[in-house]
Amino acid sequence: MEILRLENIHKNFGVHHVHKGVSFALNKGESIGLLGGSGTGKSVLLRSIIGLERIDSGNILFHNERIDHLTEDQLKDFRIKISYSFQSGALFDSINVFENIAYPLREHTKLTEHEISIKIKDMLKLIDLEGKEHLMPSDLSGGMQKRVGMARAMILDPEIVLYDEPTAGLDPQNTLNVVSIMQQLKARGLSSIFVTHDIPSALSLCDRILILHQGKIIFNDSPLQFQFSSDPEVKKFFIS
Amino acid sequence: MNNEIGSDKNSAEIIHHHLTKRFLKVLMMNGEIFQLFIDIIRSTFSRPFYFNRLVEQIYHLGRGSLSITIVIGLTMGLVMTLNFGYGLAKFGGTLYVPAVVSLSLAREMAPLFTSLLVAGRVGSGIAAEIGAMNVTQQVDAIRALGTSPIRVLVVPRFWALVISLPLLSSLSFAVGIIGGLIVCKNEFDITTGFYLSKVFSTVKFHDYMSGLVKSAVFGGIITLIGCYRGLVTRDGTKGVGQSTTWVVVTSSIWILITDFFISKIFLMIWN
Repeated sequence: MEILRLENIHKNFGVHHVHKGVSFALNKGESIGLLGGSGTGKSVLLRSIIGLERIDSGNILFHNERIDHLTEDQLKDFRIKISYSFQSGALFDSINVFENIAYPLREHTKLTEHEISIKIKDMLKLIDLEGKEHLMPSDLSGGMQKRVGMARAMILDPEIVLYDEPTAGLDPQNTLNVVSIMQQLKARGLSSIFVTHDIPSALSLCDRILILHQGKIIFNDSPLQFQFSSDPEVKKFFIS
Repeated sequence: MNNEIGSDKNSAEIIHHHLTKRFLKVLMMNGEIFQLFIDIIRSTFSRPFYFNRLVEQIYHLGRGSLSITIVIGLTMGLVMTLNFGYGLAKFGGTLYVPAVVSLSLAREMAPLFTSLLVAGRVGSGIAAEIGAMNVTQQVDAIRALGTSPIRVLVVPRFWALVISLPLLSSLSFAVGIIGGLIVCKNEFDITTGFYLSKVFSTVKFHDYMSGLVKSAVFGGIITLIGCYRGLVTRDGTKGVGQSTTWVVVTSSIWILITDFFISKIFLMIWN
């Protein structure tokens, strides 16, 4: 079942045309790996989906409902269902790990402190950071910050998670940890779009690979087809 | 000759183009600041309102400025009384010193100087804090998590300073009056009873109101400009540094301009 559809997305930054008609769809429970060179607009595409960037033309549909033209207030409900995991984690640096993960719960639910505490303990167990809830973001390593950022994005049980380079800059062990968390979330039926340069992780996690090149999707197929594609652009990308 | 005329014409066109561009930029920025003000008012009267954050900000912005307010108030009182005292003594007008000092403090000096100092301390702090959050994507994270940066960051700060700056100005006025009393007693042999009776009989309700209204408006200006600049800060730490400087200069200019107009309005109403 299709839950998200992007139709003919165009986005310019001044004279720089980032997207020149990007179209694809995401199905329920599916993970899409969005690959592409640096500066091709992968992150901009993710930001456009939840309205952090405004597209110039095209449609973004969530459950067949257009969301690209909504105001900030109207987008609030969709941002609970479509969550975004930032590349840097983007943790609030003035509050600790517990409060960072609790933030969406306090804002959007009427859970008691006890219920919030239980949910956060479960989440900390999933991201393998039990007992670290009182640490401040500045006390965490880059990998830990990313995992806390993922936990915060996940705490409201969204339908879709947009991962912006979650493994970038991590050592192999931390990369494995992050990918393992993403696999567990996928097993729970979560749909996701995974922007990355990390091809092995994308191949192990994703049901479909998309390549964004010069503002357009030039490849949209299974990981297997991606590995054995005869298209020179795809080959070049895979080999690189 | 023709070349020189052509070159002058080109230079004039470049200057004209540059000035037009600059004017439009300033106009657009003022429009954005006004839009932010509208958003603040709209967010104040709709749910959710972060009351806890408001209290936290009053404590943080208001209490944190207490010491600087006391110092500026006392200094103003001491220096003004000294200058007015020796100035008026030449004409035998020493007895008018309490009236002149208290009126100046209530109407102008306490709200203006306190606000300018708070603009330096708090305005730059707000711009730095929100600016740093912006460049580290924390503001984006607030939006991505289905909440509004205006409600979470701007509204509590705005009302916190609108509430606390009049209180700080009142404190500055009170400390200034004490400063004046110290100088009057020691330098001009004016008794405490005479000094205080002159202060209370000279400063009327509308003088206090003028100072309080000014402080509240200045508080709004400082947070509005600080928050706006914080939210549009780019270019990492360099951008944050530029924003703090910009906020202090811009809010000080706006405070001085607004001061004239509020004074004028109050004088028109009560005179």
